[in-house]
Amino acid sequence: MRGRLSTSGAVLVYGFGALILLFILAPLLVVISLSVSQAPFATFPPRGFTFDWFGRVIADEEFRHAFMVSVVLAVAATAASFALGLPAAYALNRWKVPGAAAMEAILLSPQIFPILITGLALLQFMASRGLRDAEMNLFIGHVLITLPYLVRTITASLKLVDRTLEEAARTLGAPPWRVFWLVTVPQIIPGIAAGCLFSFMISFDDFPISLWLADAQTVPLPIFLHSSMSRVFDPSIAAMSTLMILTGALAVIGLEKLVGLRRAMGI
Amino acid sequence: MAKPVDLALSGLSKHYGRNVAVEGVTLRIAAGELVALLGPSGCGKTTTLRMVAGLVEPSAGEILIGGMQVTKVPVHKRNIGMLFQNYALFPHLSIAQNVAFGLQMRGVGKAETAKRVADALALVQLGSFADRLPAALSGGQQQRVALARALVIEPSLLLLDEPLGALDKNLRESMQVELRQIQRRLGITAVLVTHDQEEAMTLADRIVIMRDGKLEQVGTPEEIYSQPATRFVAGFIGAANFLKGTVASRGAEGLAIALPGGGRLLLPTETQEAPLVAVRPEAIAIGPADGPLPGNGTPATVEQVVYRGQMTHLYMRLDDGEPLLAYLANRDGAAPDGAGMRVGERVMAHWPASANKVVRDN
Repeated sequence: MRGRLSTSGAVLVYGFGALILLFILAPLLVVISLSVSQAPFATFPPRGFTFDWFGRVIADEEFRHAFMVSVVLAVAATAASFALGLPAAYALNRWKVPGAAAMEAILLSPQIFPILITGLALLQFMASRGLRDAEMNLFIGHVLITLPYLVRTITASLKLVDRTLEEAARTLGAPPWRVFWLVTVPQIIPGIAAGCLFSFMISFDDFPISLWLADAQTVPLPIFLHSSMSRVFDPSIAAMSTLMILTGALAVIGLEKLVGLRRAMGI
Repeated sequence: MAKPVDLALSGLSKHYGRNVAVEGVTLRIAAGELVALLGPSGCGKTTTLRMVAGLVEPSAGEILIGGMQVTKVPVHKRNIGMLFQNYALFPHLSIAQNVAFGLQMRGVGKAETAKRVADALALVQLGSFADRLPAALSGGQQQRVALARALVIEPSLLLLDEPLGALDKNLRESMQVELRQIQRRLGITAVLVTHDQEEAMTLADRIVIMRDGKLEQVGTPEEIYSQPATRFVAGFIGAANFLKGTVASRGAEGLAIALPGGGRLLLPTETQEAPLVAVRPEAIAIGPADGPLPGNGTPATVEQVVYRGQMTHLYMRLDDGEPLLAYLANRDGAAPDGAGMRVGERVMAHWPASANKVVRDN
């Protein structure tokens, strides 16, 4: 039985809920409103309405380059984390691997250690090895921080898989690899999708790793945004930020279209 | 349908560390026979079935299907059909795709697959549901789809793991009949795991009672009920009163046993010790307490009378404190009147000598 709220109770609950949503979304709304302001400086409240700042930002070749660096980096890191994370999560959960618990803890540890320190350690390691390819270094660093998200979400959905479905498939004549692709994977698709979304956003938004590993030619968007801001603080910064928010929103909408967000988030 | 084959288990055992799940199960199931593995939870019946399926690797022993050694053969090459308690339909596939799954694994062509899927769904009367998803079907319908999916591959064996356990009572009974008819019609060898004795009685040609990982008794439902070998079997299948006394005399008729509660038994056996005797409640009749002591009977006091429609259950207490239960048949729904139907009344319970079942005390 579902209880019904009394009228005053409903007002209280919805009112409180709206306040929390406002608390979460207000900073983003401020940024978006600034991006269409006619004022030459980023001041709140905005004045007038214009898309000029977006035009300027998009015309800026450096911005376009940084945006592409970040998108390619996020897609590549997510693809690699998926390719590594799926077999890792499966093996750690389904096979009797000696030291599985320790291995899982190590795989997830980048989520616990301060990312800034991880980035610094990576920089020192790579410098000592003479690895100077910034694109490759960024890729490795981003895989390191996105992998735990995929391992974690895939592990969680593997634990929810109905094992009798796999057993039924085996009795029906499916060899192990076909059981995996035809029965297990369709059940963990939501976890994979959610993991990929987290991974994409973590990489796309990453500052503390990129800070150390970027060079003058390969500048991811958050680094570019930060250095632009220290030069000039006009609404073009807000326009760039709005484009980043839009990219995240597009990723969420894409996931919703592909597998349904509710399923992906396990709700 | 492929020719029915027999199943032979020989010394089949499964140990988990020091825990013994199944110990030395040797059993032969004839081609076309339906055998039920029956027992309380933890008796090893499910583990035994899963070893036959190949889902659990035996610690020792052999499994032969149609004379072929399959102990080391992986699950997907054993050609078995299996039903699970939770149906185990693939939720992301339609009913027709579920049924087609096993045929696809065998590389059967599209046209033949379509025909065989349609035939299998017609067999379970769900032809019109082909395009739906499993979630749109009721539990009984889902299990019929699972049956079609298991049978369409023409398996050598049909393994049933508590297949009707999740259904409500009425549906379960009609599904039992349907399952039995289909199994008979196809003549497929089948093993059923259940903890429901009525289901085992209804479906099985033979019942295997298991306890603590071992076989306790194997026989037809009638043999198991009318000639229980042990105290456990007599108590697990139906209800039983257990009586034990001392030898009073030996004569041509056999052994006369005196019960501590003042009753007596006549047994046609030659044992030295007085054995344990089981008496089914429906064998017991009630007479007036002041009558003569019958050959097999005992005085008792009525403790509780429960009207159950076709029967009245009479709970009694013997003079030594042991309980005695009688089922008295009700004609036209009316409880038998007369002697001994009131609480506290003294009665004489009696039964024919043939109702005395000598059982091993275990």
